[in-house]
Amino acid sequence: MIEPFLRTIGISKSFPGVQALKNVSIEAFPGEVLCIVGINGAGKTTLMNILGGIVKSDEGEIYIEGIPVEISNPLDAEKYGIAFVHQEMGLFPTMSIVDNMCISSFPNKLGIIDYKLAEERCESVLKRLGCDFHPRTKIHDLSPGDQQIVEIARALLGERRLIIFDEPTSSLSSREKTCLFEVLTLLKKEGISIIFITHLLHEIFEVGDRLIAFRNGEVVGGEMIKNITYKDVIALMIGTEETRSFFGCRTPKVVGDLILEVENLSRRGVLYNINFTLHKGEVLGLWGLLGSGRTELERALVGLDPIDKGTIKINHNGILKTIRHRDAKKWFGIITENRRKDGLLLPMSVKTNISLADLRKLISRVWPLIDTKLETELSKKLVNRLDIKITSIEQQVATLSGGNQQKVILARWLLSNPPIYIMDEPTRGLSVEAKSEVDRIIGELAESGAAILVISSDIDELINLSSRYLVMRRGRIVAEFQAEASKSDLMAAAAGGNHE
Amino acid sequence: MRKKQHLDVRYFIVSQGFVIAMVLFFIVFSIIARNFMTLKNMVRILHTIAPLLILAPGLALVIMEGKIDISVGSIAFLSSGLGVMLMVHHNIPSYVALPLIVVVGFILGALNGLLVVVLKINPLIATMGMMFALRGVALQLTNSMVLSIPKELQRIGYANIGTIYIDVIIAVIILLLAHFFHVRTPFGRHIMAIGNGANIAEQLGVKVPKVTFLAFALSGFFASLGGIFVLFQVGAVTPTMGQGYEFNAIALCLIGGISLMGGEGSIIPGLLLGGVTLGVIENGLNMVGASPYAYAFVKGGVIFIAMYADSIKKVLRKTRITIAEEPFASAAGQDHKKLSVRSNK
Repeated sequence: MIEPFLRTIGISKSFPGVQALKNVSIEAFPGEVLCIVGINGAGKTTLMNILGGIVKSDEGEIYIEGIPVEISNPLDAEKYGIAFVHQEMGLFPTMSIVDNMCISSFPNKLGIIDYKLAEERCESVLKRLGCDFHPRTKIHDLSPGDQQIVEIARALLGERRLIIFDEPTSSLSSREKTCLFEVLTLLKKEGISIIFITHLLHEIFEVGDRLIAFRNGEVVGGEMIKNITYKDVIALMIGTEETRSFFGCRTPKVVGDLILEVENLSRRGVLYNINFTLHKGEVLGLWGLLGSGRTELERALVGLDPIDKGTIKINHNGILKTIRHRDAKKWFGIITENRRKDGLLLPMSVKTNISLADLRKLISRVWPLIDTKLETELSKKLVNRLDIKITSIEQQVATLSGGNQQKVILARWLLSNPPIYIMDEPTRGLSVEAKSEVDRIIGELAESGAAILVISSDIDELINLSSRYLVMRRGRIVAEFQAEASKSDLMAAAAGGNHE
Repeated sequence: MRKKQHLDVRYFIVSQGFVIAMVLFFIVFSIIARNFMTLKNMVRILHTIAPLLILAPGLALVIMEGKIDISVGSIAFLSSGLGVMLMVHHNIPSYVALPLIVVVGFILGALNGLLVVVLKINPLIATMGMMFALRGVALQLTNSMVLSIPKELQRIGYANIGTIYIDVIIAVIILLLAHFFHVRTPFGRHIMAIGNGANIAEQLGVKVPKVTFLAFALSGFFASLGGIFVLFQVGAVTPTMGQGYEFNAIALCLIGGISLMGGEGSIIPGLLLGGVTLGVIENGLNMVGASPYAYAFVKGGVIFIAMYADSIKKVLRKTRITIAEEPFASAAGQDHKKLSVRSNK
């Protein structure tokens, strides 16, 4: 058997609140495409960031060609011939292609950049990828797909032994994709190791040689791709154990009146003809992989992003009427993906944070000023109702645990009491207990008649919560399921395969 | 297709708007003031702005990095003040004192760099502190007095070759060198990369703290160099020397298309255009006999328009690209086709 180019032994990494990787050991062989799969948050990207020198592991060893090495920064990674094509754009928009590609190692004579040589090098790599841009073109003049190509080209520049692709195809057209796959085959022949992370499972069968699946930060299986089927991959990704049930929210509730109807909502390049309805007392789960447009839909719906066309109708006092998009915010209680950044005023008190959503309600009858007594009273009531653990309502929100912070946001919305809640990853980064607490509150909210749209990367949680599902892929709603749908139904629809 | 062309015309007008506006200024001024469009006057305009042009390239690098330095005026004052005191009170020859001025400037700039990089103070606050503090030190040193420089140095400020002043030639040479340094060295490119996104740059192995530190040090260096040429023209260190230079220099950068967000702009033609624009407006308004206060007002207006054009440009660029190609949409469409073909089998 040939010696692996790269071997990791027992890599572990934890971030505050989450164990991202647990004792991960993998091997990458020269001339092989190793595919890594796993749902969002499974730990794939963290491992790649460790290999790329962007984050440091807590434990574990990395061997390159059998020699233990330490990769503590991106330059180290480059020294060992490891290149990384990042998931999110890592380009400098105002600079030229050649600058972007050579930024970490300009060919130079006495400190003066040799642009002729640099351009030649870039051009030859771009040609390999089937592109004929002029290397002096500015990045901001390229389309997103072409930008992605440049990023890939940057990784191919120079002496490479291992190239990590983290979802490289998410913004490529199929012509560009074919090109990339051809290049992968070429690189394989040159004896370069390739690690390929993707959410689109059919790509694995197109280019992959071997597969490793991650779940909750652990390696849960590895297999040669020619020996497995599409269904096996899904089973590996989501696990086969039965869903734990926190509470009975899944039993289809008596669904109330129609409250929200979305027709043909579109945003160029992001969302295409989104149609769906939402009823009172319903928890609608929105499932999709990273980049499927879940968060984009949420943002467009509540008016945080502009829309190109489409109507949003809301049932107000029994009448379904179209609302103006810029007024949309008023109907939705929004819980964002990143509560610390978008949701809370961290240095301020619990009370201030709760009362923020609807200060008008708190205006005193006597003066046009805020009635602080009422504010305190209402905040206290909500704190008790949601069982938020604080010493006093004057406590700084920044000092609370994640679960309690999330409850503060929930309390805020309970105060203003919107008819519809949109929750993007409401339990991300919370401990197990806090998670089930928040989930319980969501269930109660729905029972009390609110309509809830939940986005979550945790498929178990989504299944526990939702009474109906929408599945998104590439900016479209591709499937709708009722409560009895299984995890693999959702997974298959989201990954977009047709291999059943 | 038609729509795209239409957009391109608008894009051209907005992106080249400045040149168009300059041409208009020239036409209006030369019609009203007979002496405006003369070689002598053109040379005079360049002569007036030369010190500011020499002072600005360092600051431009800092701005391109997405940061700011408002201490350049005070650095110019303090470093020149020190140099002149050495020459006048301690009889140190000028060929020693003048280089010392730029060394002092570099050190003061490096101090700014330390505040920003090591102590992680917000650049605006750090350099604002330096702006006040250094001016205080300089006023104390010079006792708030006017100190004349030696006669032979005063002559340099108005020395000329033919009709062109020497300091204009020097300014152009310095701008050319700075431009070359900016576009052709890894350091210059790293500055642009940091201005575009410090995190990405860091991930790609750019030494962000080092580059930032150097940019501030260079800003101090160029500030003191500009100060020297102010000395030559004025003939003395005055208590108000350098006051307001920081904002004039920032204005010059902005008008020249260097974005305060960082990552955008050039030294040539950017800085040069900005400088000439400011010079032309000041001189032209003077020539047509406008109120002396009109200049400040017009300068404000021009900065505003430059910023507005910049933001329109960005919006247009976005639209242009989305209309030109929609890979996301086409890819999804083709995917569908491919899949349906497969399922038919």
